[in-house]
Amino acid sequence: MARDHITARGSPGIDTPLLLAVMAIITLGLVNLYSATSVYADDGQRAQLADIYVSQIYWIVVGTLLAILVASIDYRSFDRLALVSYFGGLVALALVFVLARSIRGASRWIAIGSFNFQPSEFMKIILILVLARYLHNDPKVEPRTLLDFTRPALLTLVPVALVMAQPDLGTSLIYLLTAGSMLAMTRIRKRSLVTLAVMLGVSIPLAWNFLLLRYQRDRITSFLNPENDNTGAGWHAFQAQTAIGNGQLFGEGFMQGTQNQFRLLPDQFSDFPFAVFCEDWGFAGAVVLLGLYCFAVIWAIHVASQAKDRFGAALAIGVGANLFWHVVLNVGMAIGVLPVVGVTLPLFSYGGSSVVTMMVGLGLLMNVSMRR
Amino acid sequence: MRLFVQRSDVGEFRRRYRWMVLFVLVTFLVLVGRLVLLQLVEGDVHRAQARRNIVSEGFLATTRGVIRDSLGRVLAANRPAYNVYITPAQLDMEKAWPLLARLLHLDDAERTALEQKIRDRRNLDPKDRRRQQQILVKVDIDRDAVAYLETHKRELEGLTVAPSPVRYYPYGSLGAHVIGTMREVDREELAFLSDRGYRAGDRTGAIGIERRWESYLRGQRGMRKVVRMAGRRMDQAELEAKYLEEPRRVEPIPGRDISLTLDIELIESMERAMHGQLAGAAVAVDVRTGRILALLSKPSFDPNVVSGGQGIKAVSEAYTRLYADPLKPTLDKTISAAYPPGSTYKPFTALAGLADGLVDPHAEVDCRGGFEYGKRYFRCTGVHRRVNLHSAIVQSCNTYFYELGSRISIDRLASIGLDFGFGVRTGIGVNPEARGRMPTRGWYTRRYKEAFRGGFTVLSAIGQGATTVTVLQLALAYAALANGGTVYQPQVVRSIETSDGTVVQEFPPRVKRMVGLDQSHLTMVKQAMQGVVTDKHGTGYGGRIPGIDLAGKTGTAQVSHVTPRSVDPNREWYFNRDHAWFAGYSPAASPEVAIVVLIEHGGGGGKNAVPVAMRVIRDWQKMKEDRLAARAAGSGQAKGNL
Repeated sequence: MARDHITARGSPGIDTPLLLAVMAIITLGLVNLYSATSVYADDGQRAQLADIYVSQIYWIVVGTLLAILVASIDYRSFDRLALVSYFGGLVALALVFVLARSIRGASRWIAIGSFNFQPSEFMKIILILVLARYLHNDPKVEPRTLLDFTRPALLTLVPVALVMAQPDLGTSLIYLLTAGSMLAMTRIRKRSLVTLAVMLGVSIPLAWNFLLLRYQRDRITSFLNPENDNTGAGWHAFQAQTAIGNGQLFGEGFMQGTQNQFRLLPDQFSDFPFAVFCEDWGFAGAVVLLGLYCFAVIWAIHVASQAKDRFGAALAIGVGANLFWHVVLNVGMAIGVLPVVGVTLPLFSYGGSSVVTMMVGLGLLMNVSMRR
Repeated sequence: MRLFVQRSDVGEFRRRYRWMVLFVLVTFLVLVGRLVLLQLVEGDVHRAQARRNIVSEGFLATTRGVIRDSLGRVLAANRPAYNVYITPAQLDMEKAWPLLARLLHLDDAERTALEQKIRDRRNLDPKDRRRQQQILVKVDIDRDAVAYLETHKRELEGLTVAPSPVRYYPYGSLGAHVIGTMREVDREELAFLSDRGYRAGDRTGAIGIERRWESYLRGQRGMRKVVRMAGRRMDQAELEAKYLEEPRRVEPIPGRDISLTLDIELIESMERAMHGQLAGAAVAVDVRTGRILALLSKPSFDPNVVSGGQGIKAVSEAYTRLYADPLKPTLDKTISAAYPPGSTYKPFTALAGLADGLVDPHAEVDCRGGFEYGKRYFRCTGVHRRVNLHSAIVQSCNTYFYELGSRISIDRLASIGLDFGFGVRTGIGVNPEARGRMPTRGWYTRRYKEAFRGGFTVLSAIGQGATTVTVLQLALAYAALANGGTVYQPQVVRSIETSDGTVVQEFPPRVKRMVGLDQSHLTMVKQAMQGVVTDKHGTGYGGRIPGIDLAGKTGTAQVSHVTPRSVDPNREWYFNRDHAWFAGYSPAASPEVAIVVLIEHGGGGGKNAVPVAMRVIRDWQKMKEDRLAARAAGSGQAKGNL
C-alpha cells in the first residue's frame, strides 16, 4: 500500500475493482438465493418463499440507490451526522422492546407499514461512523492506555447490551468484533494489552454465567460436544456440513444439491446459504466466493491505507471489518468451526435490513476510496 | 496545514495494515483448509450421508411357507386380516360413528370406551399430532364387512381398512402343539436377530414346527430403494436413475413349504376318541418307518388366537387364561412331559428277565394280593392266584413282576429301557423334549445319599418308582416291540418344498438302533399283549371293540402328585387319581401302527384308555380302507403312508 499511488490517482473516480467484486458477490448471492428457495415452489403453504429472491432484488436496488447517495456526498460531512444517528439508533433499539414482534423468541424487528425494520442492522453502520468520528477527533500520538478507551468502549457496549437483551448474540458479537478491529488500529501500550488480555480472561466466564441465555450456552456446548447435543443446533450444523461435503470438487450443480432440494438444510436462505452454495458449486465455487470476500476485505484495508484522513481510514477499516466478521462467523458456523450464531452471509442471506445496511457500508467504502 | 496534520495522524494506523492483511489472509486460509477437508478429503463420506438422507429402503414382504400334513392338507397358511382404523380428527361423530359401530357389531362396553377415546383425541389442541393418529377399532373383520365398508367409503370419512398378514391354522386347536404357533419377536432378541433380517414387529415361530423350522418357513424379505419425495416435484424415474445405486430392487424369496408325516384326520379321530376326557396325550407312529402319524396333547388351545390373528389384546388374554389353567394346556404332553409308565413298562421288564434267563415262562408265581420284600409290602391290583409270564402280562399281575424285580438288577432294567429309547431324548426336533428317567443304582445313590434298597428295583419292574417316560418314547418303544426290535428315529417332517412344489429335501426313515432280542422271547411277550385285549381275563378286554385288531398293554400309573397351589381344593381328588395308559400296536399279527394313549388322572387304564385306542384304530382302519378304495378307483389322491 505504497504511498506513491495516492498522487497517481486523480479526483473522484469510481473504484472499479471494488465495484466489480461487489457486483459479482451480489450476482452469486441472487443465483444462490434462487436455488435455495426453489425448494418451496410446489409447497402450498410456503410457495411464496420461492419468490423471495424478487424482493431481495428490490432490496438490492434500494441498497444500491442508497449506496450511490452515500458515496456521492463527501464522507467528511457524515462526521456531523454520527452522534445524532447514534442516539436515534439507540432509541430505535430501545423501541424494539416496546413495538417489536417476536420471531422465534427474539424481538428484533419493528414494523413500519408492511416493512419489518431491524434497527440492530443499521446500528452496525452507525457504530462504525461514531467510532470513526471518535478516532478522528482523538489524534493522540503516544501509545494509549486502557483508560483512553473508556469512551469508545461505552459507545460500543451500550448498543451491545441492548442487542444482547433482544436477545441477539450474533449481532452483539459483530458490534464487538467490528469495534475491536477499528480500535486495534491505534497504538496501545504493551502493558495495557496484557491487562486487556487478563480482563478478557476474567470476563469470559462471567459473561458465560450471567450474560448468555440458556439456549446460547447450549449452542456453544453442543458445538464443543456434538454427540450430546440437545438443542437441534448440532443437528443443523451436521446437515450443513453434509451439504458442503456433498458438493465435493465441482458441486452437484445449480439447483441440484440434494440436501437443499430435499429440505434437509435448516434456514437455508438466512443462516446457511453458504451450505447451499457449496453443495451446488462445490469446492471450486466456494473458493471463488471466499476469494471475492477476501478481496473485498483486503481492498477495504487498501482503501484505508490510502485514505487522506483518520475518519476515512477508520470508516474503511470499519466497513471492511464488518464484512470480514460477518463472513467468518457465518461461514465458520456453516463449516463447523464455530458455534451456531445467527449472523448473515453478506449479500447472500435474505433480508432487507441486512442487504441495505451492507450496501450503505459499501457505499461509504466507495466514498472513501473515491476521495483519497 | 490541516491536511498535513491529518496525514501524520493517519501514520498511526499505517503500521497496522500489514498485520490486518496477514490476519485476513490466514483466516480465509483456515476456512479454505476446512473446506478442503470437508469437500475433498471427506467428500465421499458426506456424499454417502447425503444419499442416505434422501434414499430409503422399502421392504418387500415375503410369504411364510405353508405347512401341510402327509396328504397335502394345509395345516398352517397365511391370510390377510382386515383391521379397521379410524382417524379421530376426520370422523363424523354424528352419522358415521353410529353406523360404523353397528356394522362392526361393537358391544356397548367397547363402543363407549372407543367413543370416549375418540372424543378425547378430538378435543386435543388442533396442532396435537394425536388427533391424526389412527385408532384401532376392530381387528379381523369378515369379508362381507370389508366389502360393505369399501362401498360406503364416502360416508365414512376417516376410516381405514388395512390388511395385515396373519398365520392361519384351518384345523384350529387340532395338533396345535406340534404344528406350532407364532409370536412377535421381542426387543432383546432383535439385538441379534436383526442380522438375520428380523425387524421390530416381525413374527417368528413360538413353538412346534413353526419354531423349529423357522429359518426354512420364514423366507427372505425383498428390498426396494426409493427416493423420498420431499423437495420439488421431480420425475420419480429420473430421480431413481440419478440417485439410486444398484441393486435397486431385490425380489423377496418366499419361505419353504413343509410337508409333515402327520395325518390331521387321525389327530381329529384321537380328539374325538378322547372326548370327555380333561387332559391327556396320544401318539401314533408308523412302526415300519418311525414316522409320527399323529400327536395329540389335551387340553389344547387355538393357535389362531395365540398367534395374533385376533389382535394383540386377544393374545395376552389367551396366555393369561392358558397359564392359569391347572391342566396346563400349553404343555406338549406328548414330548415335553414325562410320566411314570406303570404297567405299560412290564413287557420290557419281561424281555430283560427272559434275556438274562431269570424267567422261566412256564414257572408260576402265586399272587395273594401282594409281595413282601424286606420290611415292605408291595400291593397287587388284585388276587391273581397262580400266574405265569403270559397270564401275568394279560392280567397285569404286579406280584409276578415284583418277584422278578427282586431278582433282577435295577441297572439291567435301565439298560433295556435305554435300548428301547427311554431315558434319552428321541431327537424328534420339535418342542423342548423331556428326557424321562431310567433310574440306575448310581442315580439313586446320587439322589438319596443313602444305601440303595432293593425295593427301588421292585417298583421299577412295574414302571413305578422313579421311572418316567414320555408318551412319544413309549410309542417308539412299542413300535420297536411291534417291528421286531428296530428303534427308528422319530420324524415329523417328511419333506421340504419350494413354494411352487419342487421338493428340496426329503427325509427318508432312519434306523437308530436294532435291539438285540431273541425273537422267541418277543413272540411270547407279543402273544401276551394280544391276550390283554382278547383274553376275557385281560385288562383291556372290557374296553375292546369287537373286530378291531389291536394288541398292547394297559397301565394304571400311581401319581405322587403334589397338587398345584392354583387348584381348587374341591377338585383335588382329580389330581390324585391315577394316570390311565394304553400302549399297543395294530394289526397284532403284522403291525403297521403303534399307538399310545395317556389319560391324565383318568383312573384305570383298561377301562379308560383302551376304548380310546380302540376307537382311534377303528378310524385308522377305516381311513386305510377308504384310501385303498380311492386309489383303486383311480381318483388317486391318496399318497399317505398308511
